[in-house]
Amino acid sequence: MSPKASDAAVGPKVGETVERFELEKAWLVDPVSGREGPGEVVVIDGILESVVWLEGAEAAGITAEGVVVAPGFFDLHAHFREPGFEDAETVATGVAAAAHGGYTTVALMPNTSPALDEPGVLERIRSASRASGSPVEVLAFGAVSVGRAGEQLSAMGELADAGVIGYSDDGAPVRTPKLLRSALLYAGMLGLPVVEHAEDLELTANAEANEGYVASILGLQGWPTAAEVSAVSRDLAVLEDALRDEPRARLHLTHLSTAASLELVRRARAAGLPVTCDVTPHHLAFADEWIAGARRWSWEALAADGTSRDPWTDGALTAPPYNPALRVNPPLRTPADAAACLAALLDGTASAVVTDHAPHTVVDKEVEFGRASNGISGIETALGVVLALVDAGKLPLGRAIAALTTGPAGVVACWPTAAATPAARKRGLTEGEPADLVVFDRADRWQVTPESLRSKGKNSPLLGRELSGRVLITIAGGRLAYEDPQAGDDEP
Amino acid sequence: MSVATEADAAPVKGAAPNQDVVWHHRHLLDVDVVTWPEIDLIMRTTDEMKGILARPIRKVPALNGRRVTTLFYEASTRTRVSFETAARNLSADVVSVATATSSVTKGESLVDTVRTLEALGAEILVMRHSVSGAPYLAAEIFGGHVLNGGDGWHAHPTQALLDLYTMRQHLPGGDLRGRKVAIVGDILHSRVARSNIWSLTAAGADLWLCGPATLLRGMDRWATAWSGGAVPGHGRFHVTSDVEAALRDADVVMALRIQRERMQGGLLPSLREYAARFGLNAERVSLAKPEAIVMHPGPMNEGVEIAPDVAISGRAVITEQVANGVAVRMALLYLLAGAHETAHAGEAGR
Repeated sequence: MSPKASDAAVGPKVGETVERFELEKAWLVDPVSGREGPGEVVVIDGILESVVWLEGAEAAGITAEGVVVAPGFFDLHAHFREPGFEDAETVATGVAAAAHGGYTTVALMPNTSPALDEPGVLERIRSASRASGSPVEVLAFGAVSVGRAGEQLSAMGELADAGVIGYSDDGAPVRTPKLLRSALLYAGMLGLPVVEHAEDLELTANAEANEGYVASILGLQGWPTAAEVSAVSRDLAVLEDALRDEPRARLHLTHLSTAASLELVRRARAAGLPVTCDVTPHHLAFADEWIAGARRWSWEALAADGTSRDPWTDGALTAPPYNPALRVNPPLRTPADAAACLAALLDGTASAVVTDHAPHTVVDKEVEFGRASNGISGIETALGVVLALVDAGKLPLGRAIAALTTGPAGVVACWPTAAATPAARKRGLTEGEPADLVVFDRADRWQVTPESLRSKGKNSPLLGRELSGRVLITIAGGRLAYEDPQAGDDEP
Repeated sequence: MSVATEADAAPVKGAAPNQDVVWHHRHLLDVDVVTWPEIDLIMRTTDEMKGILARPIRKVPALNGRRVTTLFYEASTRTRVSFETAARNLSADVVSVATATSSVTKGESLVDTVRTLEALGAEILVMRHSVSGAPYLAAEIFGGHVLNGGDGWHAHPTQALLDLYTMRQHLPGGDLRGRKVAIVGDILHSRVARSNIWSLTAAGADLWLCGPATLLRGMDRWATAWSGGAVPGHGRFHVTSDVEAALRDADVVMALRIQRERMQGGLLPSLREYAARFGLNAERVSLAKPEAIVMHPGPMNEGVEIAPDVAISGRAVITEQVANGVAVRMALLYLLAGAHETAHAGEAGR
């Protein structure tokens, strides 16, 4: 049941308009209408000409466990390293990796060199995107402060005019509450958010792994939960203050990782504060015990009473310890924290799953654990990790797709200026619009290897592992973004 | 780290195991994966090495022609000299790499350095590193044997084994079961404490870790997790800031070094205050059993974690620890080098 391009032998190349693509008998997921079920899609001249929902005999045998068609994914948080760190990733390799992961839109963080603190850097990224030939839409956040140094505001107005969708000093928090307050006010005036990496840098100086049982045994310096919780508390208090002067101030907290910080956001949202947040695949599915050598999913490490199972007790340590690919900021937390990330996604506290795709070179990553750069190359494995949650019955497929599509788009729609841009468009399977979709096969597993990853960053803790949901084709804005090299080969 | 091995069937903690256990570890990175029967084998092999050290000529040809390289990324005199003496006593060729004079100062990575040393013929790599887990990275790429000489806050297996050997020498029947061992000092930053947790809970000792709350951070969670005797082959242990409770009726008292950096880090008000509240002075040590021994892994800050009169008292076995260190390291080099040829089951990456 693989997708059938009408003329597979001379199909389009990446970047070319998809003249004709038909997929019969697949499982369609439309997070805008909330509908999913058996159906067919037809793309003609880049336009999603028809979406047919099948019923009765026609639908027989089509299940959600096979080929799935969903709107193209939107990653609200990725690092493509250009300009400045092109040996780790470029815009061209980044968009290729994104398309392989099913993404048709990515929002890049500004911690490049130079930082994206003025429009010239954005123009450079856009020109690299155009040169790549890929139709994957590249959006960007501008820096909050000049050089992300936490002292002066960046060229925020000029950046807004140039089209950034918000501001962040990601990689680090906005340094002081005073600057954060200014940034929320000024960005709010411009109709844009501050996206905050919530971390108390004093509490995390030299920290290596989540403070707790695993870090204690491994002799790794603890990264306390309080470092995130206190930063989120600060951010929420400053937001509340800023709103009195600028009702359009908006805060988005990215890659939250602890139960306690998510609970703070839950309460703030219930109280009506304009705050949103997201979680990552690795904080949902991995736990700190992976650093000791465990490789089971986080929910498999959770005991019935909500505490963590002990990997030293139950034989869960199957890989060598201290794999530097697992060094990430914020750090992998306990299985209970991972469960809290999932609960936040399910109850709407967290609106989106973002990859925090952070490619690194071998030189920066294949070193002693405590000296390795933080980050996981994850834009190509996000779907597979999220599908592991679906396979385990932890997350309905429709909710998983929503977290990758309408979820992030809905976050952008909360930001007055960005809401008016295509970034906030509804991500559904809508007839008559340029086709923007991904087709993947849940029954087709693929192995994560350095060769299978399009990203330059091979720093994935999933190397060697098989994931479900091989992406067969990604179409962005009516143009081909990715096609599985084997697609069509096994046609009879 | 603790991938199960076939020898995991240690029946009773600290019990005398059978004699036919064979050594099958390719590396010694920590004592966590070493089972009680294997520890007993190390102890018995150390006995033999002690016999060699008692001879007028302290040299045997056991490792004649084998190449031992010491790679120390962190300053250390006693551990490096102890390893090199041990290797020479076994007639091994010793190459000593001090990173201050090597390419490491030019920015060479650990991986490249290890590959280079292997190409230069290193067979057994003794490694000391300031980053926890670094020897695991070396073990993944090194074709020979890696012997951890201390990594970050994580592990110092040869120290734990020489400590255990020294305790057994002084306890009736060499049996630690039910014997109270109190380790007092900077537990948080101590690789000695962490390795001793594994070995002493395997030996069946009643282990107490004691220090100011700032230097115990996270350890209570470890102790709590093990409070049900959860990990096979290991007993529970105690973590406390109550130095009297830790020392009362102890059979073994061990002080750990307090470093000056802890004051700059805001973890301690002053060395004076530490000495007053936690330092092992004669009065505190008198809380322990009359026959209790006093240990210190060195180097000592006399007057801080241990009073000078305690350090030189008849109870102190600190110089014995140093002497036993050579014998334990000879035993480990001998076992790792595969002197028991048939023993190698080959455990990749361990």
